[in-house]
Amino acid sequence: MGKIDVEGLCYSYPNVADQALTDINLKIEPGEFILLTGPSGCGKTTFCRCLNGLIPHFYNGEMKGDLKIDGISTREHPTYELAKHVGLIFQNPDNQIFSLTVEKDIAFGLENLGESREKMRGEIDWAMNQVGIVPLKERGTHELSGGQKQRLTIASILAMHPGIIVMDEPTAFLDPVGAEKIFEVLQTLNREHGITILLIEHRMDLAVKYCGRIIVFDKGRIVNDGTPREIFTSDETRLIGIGIPRMVELGRRLSQRGYNIGIPLNSDEAFTKLTPFLKKSVTTNTKQGLPELDEIVGEYTHTPIIELQDVTYSYSSGIDALLGVSLTINKGEFVAVMGENGAGKTTLVKHFNGLLRPKSGNVVVDGKDVSKNSVASMARKVGLVFQNPDDQFFAEDVEEELSFALRNFGYEETVINERVEWALNLLDLQRYKKSSPFILSGGERKRVALASILAWNPDILVLDEPTVGQDHGQKERLKHFLMQLRTQGKTVVIVTHDVEFVAESQPRVVLMSKGRVIADGTAKKIMTDARSLGACSVAPPEVTKLFSKLTLYSLPIDVLDVDEALDLLTRKLRRDNP
Amino acid sequence: MDPRVKFLMTMVIFALSIMFFDLIPLLAVFILQIPLILYAKIWREWLKTLKGGAFLAVIIFTTNLLSFYFFRGMHLSGENVEFSLSLTLRFLSLITSFSLFFLTTSPDKLSLALEKAKIPYEFNFAFITAIRFVPVLADEAQTIMDAQRSRGLELDKGGFLSRIRKYIPILLPLIVNSIRRSLELAEAMESRAFGATKNRTNLYELKMAPSDYFALVITLGALAFALYVRLFLPPLPKLMSGLLFL
Repeated sequence: MGKIDVEGLCYSYPNVADQALTDINLKIEPGEFILLTGPSGCGKTTFCRCLNGLIPHFYNGEMKGDLKIDGISTREHPTYELAKHVGLIFQNPDNQIFSLTVEKDIAFGLENLGESREKMRGEIDWAMNQVGIVPLKERGTHELSGGQKQRLTIASILAMHPGIIVMDEPTAFLDPVGAEKIFEVLQTLNREHGITILLIEHRMDLAVKYCGRIIVFDKGRIVNDGTPREIFTSDETRLIGIGIPRMVELGRRLSQRGYNIGIPLNSDEAFTKLTPFLKKSVTTNTKQGLPELDEIVGEYTHTPIIELQDVTYSYSSGIDALLGVSLTINKGEFVAVMGENGAGKTTLVKHFNGLLRPKSGNVVVDGKDVSKNSVASMARKVGLVFQNPDDQFFAEDVEEELSFALRNFGYEETVINERVEWALNLLDLQRYKKSSPFILSGGERKRVALASILAWNPDILVLDEPTVGQDHGQKERLKHFLMQLRTQGKTVVIVTHDVEFVAESQPRVVLMSKGRVIADGTAKKIMTDARSLGACSVAPPEVTKLFSKLTLYSLPIDVLDVDEALDLLTRKLRRDNP
Repeated sequence: MDPRVKFLMTMVIFALSIMFFDLIPLLAVFILQIPLILYAKIWREWLKTLKGGAFLAVIIFTTNLLSFYFFRGMHLSGENVEFSLSLTLRFLSLITSFSLFFLTTSPDKLSLALEKAKIPYEFNFAFITAIRFVPVLADEAQTIMDAQRSRGLELDKGGFLSRIRKYIPILLPLIVNSIRRSLELAEAMESRAFGATKNRTNLYELKMAPSDYFALVITLGALAFALYVRLFLPPLPKLMSGLLFL
């Protein structure tokens, strides 16, 4: 159980000229833990659909070559037979939970297979136990949190006892600690039950800790296949721009400077490899002898632009989402709001343009009380970019989509054209001007959504989870773009779970937990404060994890990104190894 | 309680309410349901439903009264009032019987009953999925509305037609997302071996308990008694026959 053989697999979707997969040859042995990666649109999701026969049975199109699961050809056997061998889990748990209660949903597959009631009872208990949701057995599926739902989807697949589990970005919507818990569940299944795991994931730093093999896709082909160390040292990887884990990057660059610590995959490995080169020291001033770094002080003015005073909010369902939040954001500041799933982050930013009005307390934006002004008038000041671009597209083409808000605000036709052109150029969308937003790829759709907000040039820009589902290259572009906006004096607020993105762009960080702000300060201060982070399910960045272990070696702990780490370590290494 | 017995009870109450035009039996049917409501501990939800139905009940009552008044030469007899009252009570009885059924039967149980009634599983599945996705769709509609309002859409401004046109930016994403969702759902169903065997099993089971048989006997007894009263006894006396209102 758990073996995959692929020979000369080619596939094109119906009515699409380009091949989605070209000449895939692959052997996967039972019990492997494999990471599938590559830029958006590289064919990795298509490949997963081949594994349980959704391609060619559900999707039609043209398939050549052979794919065998445990020796069974996917072409000759229907998906429902293959379901006993391969379990596919998709990104959005809501679209794969069919039943109203947890136990009934786990039973769904078994009922379809016609299993007896006694057998189902046994399998359900076993599967719930494996993923740790036993207490939820009789709960309604709609009451579950994001992490619980994702665990339920694993249990539902697990109950059918597949030898292979395939997951397409299972943690995209989860907070860092929730994501890590999902990976741990997969690791246990892999180690204790020998289940083959195939995982699509963009969060390389996290995923690399668990996998033993990485397969890199690009333009429908496999361009690289090997152990993480092999992959991250090969130049091909660099060329197609998948994210390199921070520790690998650090190791590689230290080697270039003559300190060969190999290729560490995580902070633990980096620590063990570094320590032989470092001398312990008991000096209290940890930065002694090392260059003093300028404190990162924002270039912002001290003119408040968003002011919240004791804001509380509860939804009509009775959930108290905000329990007294006071917060001041200054003009030109760059702020990241972080915290566990359900901490109240999105609720908070919906107050900025008056979509939600505080139950008690005040929200004042640019001198205006949001409770006394319409959403439309506040929106001119505050552009809110939602997480899922599909929640706003309705127009025939991109141009129309971009001019929607401008028309609502009553601009003159000539001004509208001008602004639309400007936004198209700004986000490199000129060539899609007349395309329907629905046919664009995920990354392009996100850019159109952003452009449709930037079109009216709001002073304050709020982005909800801008990095979700984005590949490494797209994240880099977003980071640079946000920097660019800051130099124009815009106030930028992002809501995010992406620890590494925050570590590298270094905004002011507002940590929220259970409807309250629990910490607020520079990224350096907050992202290295393990206690506060732990309280709201955020894990520190990899670099910080390494430096928190190195405190005995008279190195500072508040280090976030690779560049700074490299700088400090090189100086320290040079001093300790003359 | 077995959903099939409950369904039969609802149907019998339905039949009883339809069978009679007189105030006495309708009042009896209505009052007899109250202990059941209390027993099922759903009186709070029931009152809410009644409140919702109150408006319709008032309309039924007044239109009946008015039509009697105008067509019977501008006067109103006690019998007319009684008849209007009966019709209103019949309406409330029906609401109550359906509340009794739907408020106490989980959709899973209901689906199981449908399955036992040999309704094809596809219909059954569609029914459960529809219920399952109500909250999901509601959330999504709210998000879409928020996204468009953030882009300056003002739903409560303008004339009737322009207001309707303003719902296009909300309905379109909702429809497109639903189509996309249905595709993802289909993929997930396939991945869970949907349609693998004709002899699909069900985790839950329907078993008639002694109390179910008891309820069944009572229900059928009530039906038989009502039929006897309706068909073989002389018409029931009117309560307000002597009175003259207007």
